[in-house]
Amino acid sequence: MSTTTDSQPLPDVPDVENASTEDRLYADKYTDHDESHLGVKVPGFCVEKCDTGDCVSVCPADVWRRDGDDEVPTIAYENCLECGSCRFACPHNNVTWEYPERGAGVSYKYG
Amino acid sequence: METPNYDNEFDAIVVGAGLAGSAAALTMASQDLDVLVLERGQSPGTKNVFGGVLYTPTVRELVDVDDAPLQRYVAEKRYGMLTETDETAVTMRPGEWLQEPHNDSYTVLRGSFDEWFAEQAVDAGATLLTETTVTDLVREGDREDGRVVGVETDRPDGTIRAPVVVVAEGANSLVSEGAGLRDHHDREDVAVAAKEVLQFDRDTIEERFHLDGDQGVAYNYFGEGAVGDAVGGGFIYTNKRTVSVGVAYSIEDAAAGRQNPQDTLDAFKQHPAVAPLVRGGRTVEYSAHAIPEGGIDAVPDLVSDGALLAGDAAGLVLNNGVHLEGTNMAVESGYRAGRAVAAAVDDGRVDDRALATYPEALAESFVVRNLQHYDFFQELAVDDREFLFSELPRALADAETEYFAVDREPKEAHAEAAKDRLLDATGGYVGAAKRAWKYRKLLS
Repeated sequence: MSTTTDSQPLPDVPDVENASTEDRLYADKYTDHDESHLGVKVPGFCVEKCDTGDCVSVCPADVWRRDGDDEVPTIAYENCLECGSCRFACPHNNVTWEYPERGAGVSYKYG
Repeated sequence: METPNYDNEFDAIVVGAGLAGSAAALTMASQDLDVLVLERGQSPGTKNVFGGVLYTPTVRELVDVDDAPLQRYVAEKRYGMLTETDETAVTMRPGEWLQEPHNDSYTVLRGSFDEWFAEQAVDAGATLLTETTVTDLVREGDREDGRVVGVETDRPDGTIRAPVVVVAEGANSLVSEGAGLRDHHDREDVAVAAKEVLQFDRDTIEERFHLDGDQGVAYNYFGEGAVGDAVGGGFIYTNKRTVSVGVAYSIEDAAAGRQNPQDTLDAFKQHPAVAPLVRGGRTVEYSAHAIPEGGIDAVPDLVSDGALLAGDAAGLVLNNGVHLEGTNMAVESGYRAGRAVAAAVDDGRVDDRALATYPEALAESFVVRNLQHYDFFQELAVDDREFLFSELPRALADAETEYFAVDREPKEAHAEAAKDRLLDATGGYVGAAKRAWKYRKLLS
């Protein structure tokens, strides 16, 4: 019997040419705000307690980045899509999250 | 700039001009309450994301749907089970869906729909303030257990007091958590969704999905070909000139499997059964959203003294694998909350007991009744994930490949092998019967 999961790509499947995250975010409209609406409560927790980086795994916009397991993540807050997933994902409840003020941040046209 | 005074000028404040908030505002304003709606976005809808199909029975009760900026009506539904390389699907196009009111199912883009829906509330007399973020609730005497008497905002004169506050702030419920109206969601109870809006010309969409006029499709996909090892699914919805394609799956799984939403979306779009439908579109928007999927157990107390929760902030989302609903429940909950507030204001008291008609009415409505009926599903899906999302799609694909195999063997041999493959996956006739029993409530 044939198996259903071949490792070879199948013929005649069109390449959808997925955009990079950067290009995807470039399609979105943002209004700048100077101060990050995201942060970590206790940077020490990221260093001492966290070896999974769940904020990085779950973020759809590459806002959270981390070089190693004992690093405090960097936060490219200006790319944030404001889903809030990082806040729910952090098992140490160590993400601070505020709504960007006065209409700043992402503005969805389609939604 | 001169700031008008909003403090103590209104009967009620609504936090958020999404579907729940605008439904609440519209309902209250229609009953002659002075209502102030505070929206953090530049206009209503700019912070909002869904799949999405909007089910409109309640909207139809409140406004004239014929004027609404709808995209297409759902003429066809598809449930596709995906392995990495195969699809086994059920597609349906009942004739009734072609006729008005199209089973009250329409694809919608929130940017235009929410703006329009908020305008209906304004037309009914509500006051809308955009670019105004509610940062906290104000409690009487600043006591933690004091009743809610207003909101703090990021406006110059930040505090706005009113007798009642309807909190319809959405899934990332910072205000209600901060004010102690609800707990932080467990991440097992929240899904992350990522979506792309792809632009095509109308003809391409209509040819590709076999659509005429305002017909549209709603496709939902499950299995490892949709979202890998996670519990969740992928979707494709057709709009007029765009197609919405996305994935949504458990944050717990995203974290445990280090499974990033962009990669998951890329893989879903490149699936052999999906790629021909979405190829070639230009990305005009990329969006993300959290979805509270904890079911009825995760719904907090809906009222306290002076405050009510509605929509996503109250966790009112249904996902039983077949029915994926939230916006209709948001509208219904906003409507029920608005009616309760109007009745309470009429009676001159807005404590939790006066507002209790809201949870009572909601408990009798489809919103809570559906959540209760399908309460078993989320847990079952997680417990049975290997079978549902991996073994079953594979067994079906293998069985259909076997059953329809064309060669010089007698068909009987292929049919027998196909049957064996299915029974193997389901644990024999007894296992299949047990599973059918477990999932019977999906059909009852």
